[in-house]
Amino acid sequence: MDGSRTLEQEMQEIDEVISRYKGKHGELLGILEESQILNEHKFLSEDALNHVALKTGVPLSRVYNVVTFYSFFNLKPQGKHTVTVCRGTACHTKGSRTLLDDLGLILNCKKELDEGEQFFTTPDKQFTVTTVACFGQCALAPVIAIDGIIYSNVTTSKLQMLVRRISKVRKIHENH
Amino acid sequence: MNTTMVNIKINGDNHQAPLNATILDACKRAGIRIPTLCYLEDVSKNASCAVCVVEVKGAKSLLRSCTACVYEGMEIATNSARIRDARKTSVELLLANHPKDCLSCLRNQNCELQSLASDLGVKEERYVRTKKIEKCDTSSNAIHRDPNKCILCGRCISVCQNVQTVSAIGLSGRGIKSKISTYMEKGLGNVACTYCGQCALVCPTGAIVERDDTDSVFEEMSNPDKYVIVQTAPAIRVGIGEAMGMEPGSLVTGKMVAGLRKLGFKKVFDTQFTADLTILEEGYELINRIKNNGKLPMITSCSPGWIKFAEHFFPDLLGHLSSCKSPQQMFGAVAKTYYAAKMEIDPRKIVVVSVMPCTAKKYEARRPEMSGAFDYWKDKRAWSSEDAFYDVDYVLTTRELARMFKETGITFSSLPVEEFDNPLGASTGAAVIFGATGGVMEAAMRTAYEVITGNPLADINFTAVRGMEGIKEAEVDLNGMKIKIAAAHTLKNARTLMEQIEKGESPYAFIEVMTCPGGCLGGGGQPIPTTWETRRKRAESIYAEDANKPLRKSHENPNVAALYSEFLKEPLGEMSHHLLHTSYQQRGLLVWKTNGAEKKELKTPHHA
Repeated sequence: MDGSRTLEQEMQEIDEVISRYKGKHGELLGILEESQILNEHKFLSEDALNHVALKTGVPLSRVYNVVTFYSFFNLKPQGKHTVTVCRGTACHTKGSRTLLDDLGLILNCKKELDEGEQFFTTPDKQFTVTTVACFGQCALAPVIAIDGIIYSNVTTSKLQMLVRRISKVRKIHENH
Repeated sequence: MNTTMVNIKINGDNHQAPLNATILDACKRAGIRIPTLCYLEDVSKNASCAVCVVEVKGAKSLLRSCTACVYEGMEIATNSARIRDARKTSVELLLANHPKDCLSCLRNQNCELQSLASDLGVKEERYVRTKKIEKCDTSSNAIHRDPNKCILCGRCISVCQNVQTVSAIGLSGRGIKSKISTYMEKGLGNVACTYCGQCALVCPTGAIVERDDTDSVFEEMSNPDKYVIVQTAPAIRVGIGEAMGMEPGSLVTGKMVAGLRKLGFKKVFDTQFTADLTILEEGYELINRIKNNGKLPMITSCSPGWIKFAEHFFPDLLGHLSSCKSPQQMFGAVAKTYYAAKMEIDPRKIVVVSVMPCTAKKYEARRPEMSGAFDYWKDKRAWSSEDAFYDVDYVLTTRELARMFKETGITFSSLPVEEFDNPLGASTGAAVIFGATGGVMEAAMRTAYEVITGNPLADINFTAVRGMEGIKEAEVDLNGMKIKIAAAHTLKNARTLMEQIEKGESPYAFIEVMTCPGGCLGGGGQPIPTTWETRRKRAESIYAEDANKPLRKSHENPNVAALYSEFLKEPLGEMSHHLLHTSYQQRGLLVWKTNGAEKKELKTPHHA
């Protein structure tokens, strides 16, 4: 199960994406989006950005402008699993701040989250903790999303259970 | 084209304005001033600051006059309590995040935000700071950026992207995290920036400024062991008066020389001397290329921003650049060899200070290869790398020189008129016009024509290459051989000509490129504000100085002739090759990967 590939291979895949978008309106956004998705750690490395800029002729500063404007783009490697805590008003009043703090303790990244990092990835690249302004599921507050699946009425114990379940699945995989 | 005029009312009075004119333009025509901040004529219309708001009858909210256009029957109010309040609030909100260190800011008393705050009657700090403190960008030795002073007007981005097509800086982030950034926050010194300084010239605050070298120069001048001499570029004599409070375009050559002597320079020389020298070297190089099927078109190499632009964006076409060093660098090399030997001064003790209209010259002087004089001496005197020095030690912009004049209490207007020192102070009219776009071309043609044909020119004024048009072209008949020439200013226009060459479609034999709009007289180190009107006035003075010079062709400069007979021997000769010519580096766009060499600065004895 070796998903890693060389930088050269990744750049070739990006070339393929670029050729598909050639001449299309708003090509840069599409190219960047697909380039991020095809990366193993779901982020745009500096090499990828350089490559896109040089191949499309878009100035480097413009590429940087786009990737820093949209929160969708990641400039740092993402964990295998993403835990997104809703920080909307309803979730906040129902204790989402506590959930974020809990995650900090469970995943040992409290310091970074307290320092106002937008998101944090654990050193083993297994988890990325991030926040969102609102999921639109306020009636089920507080909500979190793990890898795109939304969990409602989350409590500290429920959160612990969810995270542990993912870790356990991982351990089983590793042992086999 | 007929412009349809519409009837509008401004503050109750009837006026006419062209359809689709902005409210701001319409009011300007009517003689009504609307304060602006982010707006800059011909450069940017970002509508980001909300200072130029006006009230329009029937409109839901206040309109930004820099972008909203007039229509038939529009009723505009430019001055009401509501408008004044809105403008003031906009500025107060900007001030909330702006450092309150005006007194120690390089733009103190020349800051649009400062004067706007005063004009709009800001009397208190009503809002608290909301932004994080950002790091300053001091990664280049030409331009420094302080994002904390930035008000996000976007002028610098507009000029960098649209006028220069360099895009070294851009906006990053969103909302409160928005800022002007270089790619991945690498800093100007580590991206493809040409250091043209147009961003500094249009910045309304002190967020982008030239690197200040005034203290270092003062320090050198107070060192009795040093022999500090100065050279001044053509564009300084039409800029420094303005910076000292005189009318834009004031021609103050003699006063400037007197002021520099008062400041403490041992000798006051003229970059125009080496501009004449450049014409001889470059003229012969052109003739050589034409005769021997060399690479054409040949392109001038006086403008260091342009050189860096070519190295970054057209690395495969560097063979088209003339190998001549710029007049600034030729001066440094000649001063520390020929002049040092002639006057029996230890070249290690000579400190060459340049006054330039340019921020890129600061960078040029620190290019590692710009140490021709040291290379000349090191074997003769058995010097080690410990003794190494650059040809040009410090570069001051027009603005820095003005600050030094002020700091020493020199009253510029009452200075006497003095002459440059000899021998490196003599120049012809051909050298003066280096300061204006098309000038180098005209100067080169004056010499090339006479050298090739052997006949004197009937009319030495090549007016076809004068003026502020972006790309000017002409055809010259050199004894039956017709060549096409072109002069471009701004890097956008240079790019157009380079793309022609890339496609093999360039009809020209010789091209002049100046980085800045209007040529050096509109350089990034010139007085602020520099507008098209001031550029035109400075150009008028440049051509007036040329017309008044007794000698107007570079090859007639007697001191340049003496330099050749006593030292260099002949244009393009062995000595010239070592001291006056240079080579270029293919840089590309991913600068940070290849600029290891650039980071290693030569040790200057002055900091030892």
